[in-house]
Amino acid sequence: MDQCKLIFAGPVGVGKTTAVAALCHGRLLTTEEDASDVTRLHKDTTTVAFDYGVIDLDGGDRLHVYGLPGQKRFDFMWEILAKDSLGLILLLDNSRSSPCADLKFYVDAFRGFIEQTGLVVGVTRTDSHPLPVLDTYRASLAALGFKSCPVFEVDPRMRENVVMMVQALLYQLAPELAG
Amino acid sequence: MRQEAFTSVLDELNGSSADIEASAVISTDGLMMASLLPVGLDEDRVGAMSAAMLSLGGRIAKELSRGDLEQVLVKGEAGYVLMTSAGQDAVLSVIAKPQARLGLILLDVKRAAEAIKNAL
Repeated sequence: MDQCKLIFAGPVGVGKTTAVAALCHGRLLTTEEDASDVTRLHKDTTTVAFDYGVIDLDGGDRLHVYGLPGQKRFDFMWEILAKDSLGLILLLDNSRSSPCADLKFYVDAFRGFIEQTGLVVGVTRTDSHPLPVLDTYRASLAALGFKSCPVFEVDPRMRENVVMMVQALLYQLAPELAG
Repeated sequence: MRQEAFTSVLDELNGSSADIEASAVISTDGLMMASLLPVGLDEDRVGAMSAAMLSLGGRIAKELSRGDLEQVLVKGEAGYVLMTSAGQDAVLSVIAKPQARLGLILLDVKRAAEAIKNAL
């Protein structure tokens, strides 16, 4: 494993671009354009192709990180970017109306991919919106057939939170790498 | 009102050459603003793909010191897709036949993009 790749997915405004930026120390390529749909209610710009950054891992390996566009109309990009990735980090936003429905939507959309690779779930905005609790997500994941998927509360602005999710994913894929 | 203006620009563009099969005006974040597309094409997908291509094209043009992006051209065996920037907020996408005379189409598309920019 010298060059590897992973993807961040999740609903609009959850913090995918922020998470990739935090992970890569702000050195990233973004394709943000002015939002003209309902996204505008939450933020001014939205990712239309992908966010991209790269980090060097211990041992000389390089990890290429892609943030996917959130809106369903960009699902062709999801397919393109998921190809040959190690796994998916799914971010969910506790301030949205039904984050468990979001979970089901993205797990179903990526099912074929994550069954072959790995999945880690990060829940954002839990400080202002404590519900649902992580156990609710764990139960939903179990019902969807991903009982052992790690779930975290995260702040995508905090690099150590994002690193924790990446480590959990790598550990899931190759337990001998842990440490 | 604005959509009518766009549609009339597209009407004129599609009429200007028999080689132009379809055209559409799309917001830079990938939503259809006006379109004259053949049945069977999914508007949402055409819109999102055009936006993604144009955004990437813009980043490539900048990275390689080519200035602000004007156009992205895709050529397949069965014809062309031409995506042209129409002001800050819109993209003009045109689908043309493989034997199309590109020079003429480029000229018509440039004129149409200008008209769309002014109608925004």
